[in-house]
Parts: sequence; structure tokens; C-alpha cells
Amino acid sequence: MAPLEDSVTQTSQPDPPITPEIFQHLVRLAALALDDEEAEYLRGQLNKQLRAIRELASVDLPEGLPITSHGVPYPSETRPDLRRDEVKPSDKADAILEQVPEVEERFIVVPDISSTELE
Amino acid sequence: MRTEICELSAHEIVARLKAGDLTAESVLDATLARIEAVEGGTGTLEKAPNGQNGVHAYITLAEERALAQARAVDRALEAGDDPGPLAGVPVAIKDIFCVSGTRSTAGSKILENFVAPYTATSVARLEAAGALTIGKANLDEFTYGSSNESSAFLPTPRNPWSASVVPGGSSGGSAAAVAAGEAALSLGTDTSGSIRQPAAFCGVVGLKPTYGRVSRYGLIAFASSLDCPGPLARNVRDVALMLQVMAGADPFDATAAKVPVTDYLDGIEGGVQGMRIGLSPDFSRLSYPDAGTGELRELTLQSEIERALMDAAERLAGQGAEIVEGVELPNARYGIPAYFVISRVEAASNLHRYDGVKYGYRHAGEAADLIELYRKSRGHGFGPQPKLRILMGMYVSGDQYEKRYYERALRVRTLVRQDFERAFERVDAVLAPTTPTTAFEFGRIYGDSVAMQYADYLTVPANHAGIPALSVPVGLDNSGLPIGMQLMGPDFSERKLLRIGRALELAVEWQESRPPLVRELVDA
Amino acid sequence: MPEYEAVIGLETHIQLNTKSKIFCACSTDSWRAPPNTHICPICTGLPGVLPSLNRRVVEKALIMAAAMNVGEIAPESYLARKNYFYPDLPKGYQISQYDEPLAGNGSFEFPMPDGNLRRISIIKLHIEEDAGKTVYKNSKRLIDFNRCGVPLVEMVTGPDFRSAEEVGQFLIRLRQLLRWLEISDADMERGQLRCDANVSIRERGQQRLNTKTEIKNVNSIANVRDAVQSEIQRQVREVEAGRKIESWTLGWDDDRGALSKMRSKETEADYRYFREPDLLPIQTSSEDWAATVSQLPELPLARRSRFSADYGIPDYDAGVLTEERSLSEFFEAAVAAHGGDPKRVSNWVMNDVLRLIREQDTSAGELGLRPDELAEIIRLVERGTISNSVGKELLTQVQGSDRTPSQIVEEDGLAQVTDFGELSAAAAQILEANPDQVAAYRGGKSGLIGWFVGQMMQESGGQADPKSARKILEQLLEG
Repeated sequence: MAPLEDSVTQTSQPDPPITPEIFQHLVRLAALALDDEEAEYLRGQLNKQLRAIRELASVDLPEGLPITSHGVPYPSETRPDLRRDEVKPSDKADAILEQVPEVEERFIVVPDISSTELE
Repeated sequence: MRTEICELSAHEIVARLKAGDLTAESVLDATLARIEAVEGGTGTLEKAPNGQNGVHAYITLAEERALAQARAVDRALEAGDDPGPLAGVPVAIKDIFCVSGTRSTAGSKILENFVAPYTATSVARLEAAGALTIGKANLDEFTYGSSNESSAFLPTPRNPWSASVVPGGSSGGSAAAVAAGEAALSLGTDTSGSIRQPAAFCGVVGLKPTYGRVSRYGLIAFASSLDCPGPLARNVRDVALMLQVMAGADPFDATAAKVPVTDYLDGIEGGVQGMRIGLSPDFSRLSYPDAGTGELRELTLQSEIERALMDAAERLAGQGAEIVEGVELPNARYGIPAYFVISRVEAASNLHRYDGVKYGYRHAGEAADLIELYRKSRGHGFGPQPKLRILMGMYVSGDQYEKRYYERALRVRTLVRQDFERAFERVDAVLAPTTPTTAFEFGRIYGDSVAMQYADYLTVPANHAGIPALSVPVGLDNSGLPIGMQLMGPDFSERKLLRIGRALELAVEWQESRPPLVRELVDA
Repeated sequence: MPEYEAVIGLETHIQLNTKSKIFCACSTDSWRAPPNTHICPICTGLPGVLPSLNRRVVEKALIMAAAMNVGEIAPESYLARKNYFYPDLPKGYQISQYDEPLAGNGSFEFPMPDGNLRRISIIKLHIEEDAGKTVYKNSKRLIDFNRCGVPLVEMVTGPDFRSAEEVGQFLIRLRQLLRWLEISDADMERGQLRCDANVSIRERGQQRLNTKTEIKNVNSIANVRDAVQSEIQRQVREVEAGRKIESWTLGWDDDRGALSKMRSKETEADYRYFREPDLLPIQTSSEDWAATVSQLPELPLARRSRFSADYGIPDYDAGVLTEERSLSEFFEAAVAAHGGDPKRVSNWVMNDVLRLIREQDTSAGELGLRPDELAEIIRLVERGTISNSVGKELLTQVQGSDRTPSQIVEEDGLAQVTDFGELSAAAAQILEANPDQVAAYRGGKSGLIGWFVGQMMQESGGQADPKSARKILEQLLEG
């Protein structure tokens, strides 16, 4: 986390590039196994994208400008009603389990979590 | 050139079926024969042989499903029952929609073997209307791209107008299938232009409906606040017909607005007399990053596209529309940077569920523990495009960056929206090119994720604003590649956009012709 | 050695008792169901599915907020995604709420056993979905998604508790309230009420908050109390030994009755919360909120004081009678139907009705004995029509019967025998049959009178009025 936090203080400076260390942190968060060549390509592309994203910093945002979540507003006339509390049992439980790579007595099987990672 | 059955428009098919001139099974047979002639093999995860000739629009064909549907339509017709508004119309479903009992891959290895146990609402409505589900169309992996080159299923689709250029993306297979007569209609999705851009590249009509007009239930999510399912067809009337069937609220999508569905075909031939159609300088002078340095440079449109825009405007004026120049949409230029942030945050989260545990690809070898199983399944299952989106999403949504990037991007999105709100006080619709260039060559942009994203420069503002936008082919460039123009209108103005689009289609005298690659393959 | 005080805050998770899950129509009730049977594409997070919010979840959470004295509700609150990988979380994110929760700024007041009231602040209250369950079997990790999407309210208190005892009382009263409001069954052993406790200590008189530890996964109120108590003692020992408290996460081992260290605490930043784009903000109009507040039933504490004041019953009685809402309503209706001394009704309810409820594992509302029927039985006893013991038996006879207590008494001949002649004849017979006992009585063993009355009751099948019988027996024996 340290490299990410350092950059917070430099708000007026242009963003530092995504260093190999930051990149490794992101890869860990994302749970992705990457080989070195792929990692370098991806990191290069991310930095290129960050340069494009930087244009946002130049936008003059009026004070109190709200965020837009969906573009389209949802006034009360067009908002769908919330769902009624009714049970409709699904008939798809078996079909869902058929997609699971490893099942045992209807349980989904996963390897254990390594003690060094999370415990 | 004799029009073959597979080249009939959807509304002609329905009319002739109801008149007893055609059977749904014969439409299906003709469509499958066309696929046999031009497809050249559907996409697979195996390394495809180079130079394989064909359109390669599909990943999976669903002949049996389509046959059962065709027979049901024919039985209904025989019994004198209403077979539905899309009776016997062959539809290609972008393989980002779940269709019960068919493989739903999203163009990714990570869903290579996923068979959805349920059907997307939009697809269910098409099928209930009598449409024939021909198959699942190829696409950029998880829709992440603008050329269809990122699909894990090879060969990727070709542009029916020229085998050397891309069909666009991400609904590249959809647009190619429709252009090549491999389906009359296709269901695509548009998150930053993924219906309109390939429609423009392949010379077909594509509509991004208003956000919330068509249910997203069953659409494998990319950026949930931007994704819109929508129709692709060879003409505007067919787009209206297809939208009619799919539009409307859905108890399974809390963002599908409770707005009444109007009759989109009613008045579609009414013309543009008295309508005010805007042109925006901000859609002609583009602020583009230099491929080498990343510095922003002002770019102008490809000259034929600029000319086609003026020509389209003049022709609409000739039909009685009032052309309003100088409609300012100054924040459209921030569309791509904002999209880089918003879509990545949502995508990274939406892709969290693919972990090799519940469905899809699971790393086959030993995994020491759960984390390693996740890493290897995701590392080997995802291609570079999902990985880039996940990593950028992780970066810009980190606690220390969230305000600086994500929240800022959502505020910029408000500015984009406000631009359009102001514009629509003055005009009924804005006319703009769909793409800065016509279809580009394979391999020219792919690999440069920034340049590829900027291919959506002109389409993404409508996604930010949530408004509907309709792309209509208006002519060909000097290389014989199609040019598309889009019409953007206020929320839920699809009916008016389709009417203007229909007028534009007639005014530019666009002919639903057989594209060169198709001609070549059919003749062979 | 300085004097320490504990600073404890709780994070409670309350399973709402809706019929269907929070975002899909699957049943929430999968207790003892085979694994992965109460699931659908939505709660298992298949590609392409979307959540659809259950209206009752919002309504019940608002009732909860009103009961927690929340003053104002934000007109809009937002659902947010909490992103993390875990095998029991099928989407890879939990739909929860983050910086714009449904409610905040509340408080909860509850009585301590010494009669004093404690007030605990409620910092926030939000809705979220539950995750699945993990079972370990033969060194494998097995996942069951039945519980995925069961609706929860997460309620966070201020660091206001000063002892494990307060924590225990809070949970007892919270459980009572949840059942009272019919928003949760609040059974801790079934995970319907869960509690994590943040514990730190400081020297008494200080204001600052020290490093805290978090206790998780404790499945009964007694265990929460024990776990908090033992953690307070551990921290005191650590500090006394000059060691630093580290921000550990601790788990409670039920068998050993001891705490153990769990994984190190994750930082919140890693969850990368953002607004859930698949759901619109939850809107609560000021009218809806006002209606929720005004429709809130009288709460246990208020009802308890009112019972003491209005009915003149002891505070102890009022406490017992307001343990559970339907019992308190039963009592109140019985008092009204009876029309006499409320204390007499209270005695019947506390002794006899409660015994029936426990024996039959039911509630006052589902007992099959109406309050007016109880009142009638009490009146029959008071008038001397039936004996006390017949009255008690009548309770079960009335249950599920369509006859009134009076009808049963009349038709089954249960009325007490008070006829003087009939009783005298019976008494004379008993004296004649037991000359030894008569002699003993007359020789001074006057305590035998009880034995004679017992004989009378036995002979009459319980229908003799014991008071009259005693009087006649005494006359005959002494005369």
C-alpha cells in the first residue's frame, strides 16, 4: 500500500506512473496470474491510459455539481416499483450446479485458503 | 441482382409469412444456406488457420432451436393464430446475452463452456414474438473493444465490405451477420458505441436506445450504468420493429424505466418537415491524443465523412428540416477520459465473479490454495482486454484515488449530460458522424488500448448522457467502405429518432446492397 | 495499578424475517434444507443477472430505524458494492450500503438488572445481503449458497458500552425488540442475530480511544458476554505487563471458552466501495417516514411502565408480562375482559398461561386460549363455581375447543359441590370409615384436618368446594 499512499500527497503534481510495485499491488488485488511479458505490456498500456485520463483534471467543475449515476434521471413516475415480498421458488438449482466444476453432495467444492494468505 | 430470401427485411418476411407466400422454415433454410456459403467457420478457441475466407460472424449456431421455433411459427400460421410481430425473422444474438441451454461465452475463454440456465429478457421477448434464434454472434471479449479483434474465439469476424478491415466492435459479429444476410436482425449492446460503430462500419442501421428502455437482465455486464441492449438491422423500419418487441419495464431490471412504449412504426414515414436538426462543431473537431507522445491534438474528421455529414444535412433540409448549426456540446471531448474511469470501475467489479469456482473455465492443473486457483483461472481465462479493465478499475477506485478519478469522472458525466439537455431545448435531434473514420485495417490499432478507445469518441457522449442514438448508413468512402451518421435525441425520443432516421435513409438513397465480400463468397 | 474502563462498540447483523430474499424471489427459510436448493441465477450471481430490491426489506429496516429513535431519514440512500473475493460471495461483491446508509443518528435505551436505564448511540443502520455458508469436511471447503441474499440489517453502535454485562443486556433487549416488532426471529444460534464487538480499554477518566480488537463469530448472548469479559481482562493484563494492544481480529472458541486470533484486519480501502449501478437510490418520502414512526407499536419499555402505572401491578410483573409482545397484549385484553383486579389476572398469566406457553413451546398469540376465556375462568373461580384446580385444568380444556369455559363446566359437571346436605353425608361416611384418624384428631392431632379434606376431594373427584368441606369436617369432628 505504501507506494499508493505516497502519491496522495502530491495532488497538484501530475500523477506518477504506475510503477512495477503499484502494478504488483493491483495484480494481487485483481487475483491475476500474469507472465512477465504480459505484465509489462499491461503496465505500459495502463500508463498510456492514465495519460489520457489526466485530461479530466483540466475540467473546471462548478461548485456543488452533482454526480450522474445513469445519465437518464428517474423521477417517481418512471421509477420501477420495488419488488413485492413473494416467494417464487426457482427450478434452476440443479442447472446451476451442473455448471460448477466440482460438486460434492450438492456442495460446491473449493480448495482451502492458504494459512499464509488470509488466516 | 435477385434478392434472396435471406436478404429480405424483417418486415417483409413477416408480411409475406402472414400472406402465406413464405414459411418460417423456408426462411430458416435460406438463412442457413447463406451462412453455409459465407460464414467460413464459426469462431473457436483453437488457433484458426490463417487466411480462412469467410465472414466468421458467429461463435455458436443454434440450428435446432431455430428449427423448433420456425416450426412453431408455421404451425401457428396454419392454425390461423397470430405468430407474433417477428414471426420467422432470423435473429443473431450477440454472445453476451444468456440464452437458456445455449453456450454463452462473452467471447472469452473464461466462459468457454458456460451454458446459461436462464434466458435474457430481451431475447425471451424476441423469441416470444416469433423470432428465430439463429445463433450467438462473435464480439470483442466481454464487449471490450471497437474492432472485434479481442475475441478469444477465432477467426474474429470480417467486415463484409472488405476482408482486410475490421467490422468494428464490440458487436462486430452482429453487424457482420446482418450485413452478410446471415440474419435479418441482431441483438447487440452499446456501452460506448458498440452497436453504432460496427453498424456504421458494416453499412447497417444500429440503435442505442435510451438507458433503461430495454431490460439488461441476462446481458453479461460490462459497465452497468452505461450498457444498453439494442437492435441492428439493414433498415430503419426493422430496427423500429425489433425495438417495439424488446422495449419496456421488466421486473428483473430495477433500472428498466416505467415509461410507456409507444408505437415506433406509427408515423415513421412522416418525414422531417419542420423538425430542427442540430449540427455540433464539437463532433467535427476532435481532441485526440497523439499515438506516440500521448499529447492532445486537434483532429478533423476523415474528409469523406465530413462531406457525408454536410450532404446528409442538406438532404434533410431538402425534406423540410431546419438545420441548426453551432450546437455546442463542449464537454463531449471529455467523454473518453471519463469513460476510461467509470467503465473500468464497474467492469472490474462485474468481473469479480469469474473465479473458476462456480462456472466456466477453471485452471486445470494443481492449485496450492484458493487464491492460486483464482489467480490461475483468471490469469489464463481472461485475455488482455478484461485484464486491462480490471487493473485500471482497481487503480482508479482505490480509496486514495476514488475522489480524484471516479467521482470526478461522474461529475464530468453530469456536464456531458447538461450539454445535451441544453441542446435539446433548441433542436429535436443532433446529427453527427458515428465514427471519426471508416473501418480500419486489422492489426492497425489493436494492441494500442488508448487509440482503440478513442474510436468511440463520437459515440460515447450519448452513453454518458443515457440518451438514444441511431446510426444510419449514408454512403461509401473512396475505398468503398460504409459511412454512418448518428442521430441523438432526448430521453425516450426513439420514435422521433426513427422517423428522422427513416427520412435520412430515404434522402441519401441508401441501397441495401450485397456487400463485396458476400458477393464474392456467394458467387464462389 | 490504575483503574481501567472498557470501551466497547458493537456491530450487529440482524436477519430480517421477510419471506423472500433481498434481491430475488427465493425463500429465506432454508433451515435444515439440503445445500444449494434455495438458489436461483440471481442469488448465485450468474453472469447477466440483476438484483431487484425487496420492498419489505426497506420497510422493516425503516421500522427498525424508527424503533432506534432515528429522527430523520435521508430522502435518498444508496446501495453500494463492497468488492472482495471469497468463495461464499458468488458475485465477488456484496451489495451493501456505505457512506449513504438508510439511517443514522439513533439511540437505544434499555434497563439494566439494577433498574437503571442505559442509552447507547446508534451510529448507522443499513441493509445488505448475506453471504453463503462454508462447511469444512474431510479437509475440503464446501460451499452452500442457500443463505446468499438473505436480507440483513447491519447496525453499528457508538463505543458506548463500559462492561460485558451492558453488552449482554443490550443484546437481550435488542432481541426482545426485534421479535416485538416482528422484523426478525433473532435466534442467535441460527445466525439471525450476529454480533461483532470492538473492545479497547483506557484508564478511567481518559477520553481518547485506544487500539481496539474485534471479536467475531460468537453465537450466543452468554458467549458474547464471556468473550468480551475475557478480552477486557486480557487487555488489562497486556497493558499492565507493558505490552501494546494490537488490532487483532479474535474468534470465540465455544468448546474451549476462549478467544483465538484470526486473520489480520483488512483495510477498508481494499473493498473499493462504489454505488451499485444496478439499483436506483432508495427513496423515503417524509410522509412514508412519518407513517412508519406513527405506526410503530408501543415498545416494551414504555409498555412496562404503563402496566405498572395503569394496572397497579408490581414492576416485576410488568417486566415479565412485557417480555414478549403477544403476551403483553394477551394480558391487557384479559384484564379488560375480566374487569376486576389486574393483579389477579397477572398472577394467572404469569403462573399458568406462561407455563402452558413454555410447555407447548408456543406464544400467547398462538396458544388457542383467548384472553376473554381466561377472564371467564378467573371469574368462575372467583365466584366459587369451580375450584382453583379445576380452573387450571380448564385452561387446557378450553384450548382448541369451541365451547366456552362456562359451557364446559356445565356440560361436564365440573362445578364445585357446595350443597351442605350432600357434603355432610359424604363427611359422615369418611369419619365412619376412618375411626383411627378420628380418634387421633380428637386426641389433639388437629393437623389431620388437611388429610380429611383431601379424602373429601378425592371422593368427590375434586368437585367439592374445599372451604365448605373443611368447615363441615371440623364441625363433625369437634361436635
